[in-house]
Amino acid sequence: MSYTAEAFQNEYLALGATEVNAIVTVTSSGAEGGRRTAGATEIIIVDASGSMQAEGRIGAARQAAKAAVACIDDGVHFAIIAGVGTAQQLFPAPGQLAVSSPQTRSEASWAIDRLQASGGTAMGAWLLLAAQLLAQRPGDISHAILLTDGDNGERQGYLESVLDSIAGRFTVDSRGVGTNWKVSELRKIADAMLGTVDIVAQPADLTASFEQMMTNAMGKTSADVQLKIWTPVNSTVRFVKQVEPQVADLTGKRVPDGPRAGRYPLGAWGRESRDYHICVDVAPGNAGDEMLAARVSVVEGDTVHAQSLVRAVWTDDTALSTRINRQVAHYTGQAELAEAIQAGIEARKAGDDRTATLKFGRAAQLAHASGNTATEELLASVVEIEDAATGTVRLRRKVAAADEMALDTRSTKTVRVGRGQ
Amino acid sequence: MTECASCADERAAGAAFCESCGRSLAAGPACPHCGAAGAVGEDGYCEQCGMLAARPRDHLEADAGDIAAAVTDRGLRHHRNEDSMWLAVRGGDVDVVVCDGVSSSFDPDVASATAAGAAGEALAAAGETLTACGGKTVAADKTPAAGSTPAAEAPAAGEALAADVGAAILAAKEAVAALADDGDPRRAVSNPACTIVAAVVRGPQIAYGWIGDSRAYWVPLDGPAEQLTEDDSWATHVIALGVDPEVAMRDPKAHAITGWLGADAGSVQPRGASFTVTEPGHLVLCSDGLWNYLTDPAAFAAAVRTGLHTHGTLINAARYLTDYAINAGGADNITVALIPVRPAPSEE
Repeated sequence: MSYTAEAFQNEYLALGATEVNAIVTVTSSGAEGGRRTAGATEIIIVDASGSMQAEGRIGAARQAAKAAVACIDDGVHFAIIAGVGTAQQLFPAPGQLAVSSPQTRSEASWAIDRLQASGGTAMGAWLLLAAQLLAQRPGDISHAILLTDGDNGERQGYLESVLDSIAGRFTVDSRGVGTNWKVSELRKIADAMLGTVDIVAQPADLTASFEQMMTNAMGKTSADVQLKIWTPVNSTVRFVKQVEPQVADLTGKRVPDGPRAGRYPLGAWGRESRDYHICVDVAPGNAGDEMLAARVSVVEGDTVHAQSLVRAVWTDDTALSTRINRQVAHYTGQAELAEAIQAGIEARKAGDDRTATLKFGRAAQLAHASGNTATEELLASVVEIEDAATGTVRLRRKVAAADEMALDTRSTKTVRVGRGQ
Repeated sequence: MTECASCADERAAGAAFCESCGRSLAAGPACPHCGAAGAVGEDGYCEQCGMLAARPRDHLEADAGDIAAAVTDRGLRHHRNEDSMWLAVRGGDVDVVVCDGVSSSFDPDVASATAAGAAGEALAAAGETLTACGGKTVAADKTPAAGSTPAAEAPAAGEALAADVGAAILAAKEAVAALADDGDPRRAVSNPACTIVAAVVRGPQIAYGWIGDSRAYWVPLDGPAEQLTEDDSWATHVIALGVDPEVAMRDPKAHAITGWLGADAGSVQPRGASFTVTEPGHLVLCSDGLWNYLTDPAAFAAAVRTGLHTHGTLINAARYLTDYAINAGGADNITVALIPVRPAPSEE
């Protein structure tokens, strides 16, 4: 795989300034011929709780799981977990992984047809079983799909403790079908497991969603890519956020690596490009001083794939120090957009209409200004946007639960600079 | 454990010096900012404090003994040196160029380096033609072609030299203009730009030319300095219209230049002239980082003479003038070139 890392920043700081910001774009050309450098293992977790009988969800889930199985490449290990009050392995035999082939895939399909909806929801237990199965294949590109339609029924804090113990070992993409599940619960899983979260309001759309997730997973060719950030003495990394294709805060995932350096997990990579916002607090310099504020490397094990320098140059030339870097400004806005939407939703739920209106207004303004039309449209289903430019909005009296959940789950979706403008 | 490269003794990891032979175990030079031994990495930044150890352009010197000397320095306030210089000496012949990058343009440091290089190379090519015409490449040392020219032919030779300088400035203009389409797309938005002053000395003959506000002075043995160039600047423009020079120079727009090299420079043409010296003195080329602290011609001449008399060599005098500007505030990059010029022996 060949990677590039490119930093975008205004390196000029006013005298006394100590905050250095940069957007680092990491691009991978993918492995040669799209081949994986390691093996791959896929786990499909389908909620089989009693509520899945409603609206024909279980039937749609069976269809979707079969479609996902059909997308698994030959040679990839896989297993299917039926999610009830405990985790039950549906395919292959308990504790085993199947090797994908036309025969095992059709055997899996027959097994899926036997899936019945009856029981509870225990996401912690489901993920723990997935982790145990995946542990058989260390070094593989490990990925799981989790589908649920309701709240987690486990005791308070159990899911969090499971996530703490398995975080970073594999990637989990979560989908909620219907509107009786909690966005905050699935977001917790996505954040810990470096995956995505989304709503599938109509059961009929599950198949497309599963196919898209599995196809995307099959495109990953490297298992465990990391961002290594070196900073000088007396400097600290204030935050590291993925800002494109969606916002994800990586700051808390730092693992120390030698003096003044730390690694942040980026998960599995295929042929793709992602942007990261890095903010470093440094000691102030004198006019003319140039400091290396951060050396950012894309690493896999001991291999350094690409490197980019984040610099700080102090100047008393305000024409230089006040220049606004387009990328940094844009993604700062996109991160604020996600925060404003989530704060707006919280406030609306709490009955604080004034705060909700303010937050949604700011969100509408940011979405409009940055050309994030997808988010602007989602916002419009929750508020009436009177004037996006000034952020004038009115809360809608009636909001469909699915619309609000879609806005919530997709609030972290960002667009690149200039796109859609 | 790591072994000392000099005596193969083992030492505790992290030690700065070998316990056995005392040699520094540092791989690279010590950091000038935090003093950490051997901390400067391959990319020039300190592995401890992150500071850039040094940029080569921060302070450069060209020392041609008693023929010429030049110094360029970042000064105190700018984050990099956007001035550039060229000093070439062939025997007693001297080609000299000083360029000052326009800070508001993108990559002005590249503009000035490109301009100084292009003009310098053009002058070198013209100078070689001149020497070749004399037929004595080696003897050019002692009898430069221009120096041995009969007095009657001097104006014509001077004009030819001035034409060489003009052509060199136009070559620089072309090279700088081409930068806008080269490399970083931001160059196209705010194209690299710079000033230029160039001069050639052939025996007692001096030819010079300029665009912008970098200056050439003639500093005689006594009396005030004679400013040979006339700034392409807002201040010069309004002074010509009758505004008091002191007032004009204090205006924030004083240094706004009205002529420069760059893709957006338009049809600006270099101005220039030539003359033959009749008494000894010094040709001084400098950027505004120096002359801004010595706007009075008498003070300018006094500073040059102090440098020459108290510091002996030309290079020390050039350093003295640079330090003078730094001690006065060092608000801009400073470049100064000093070339002593004597009248032709035949004119005594």
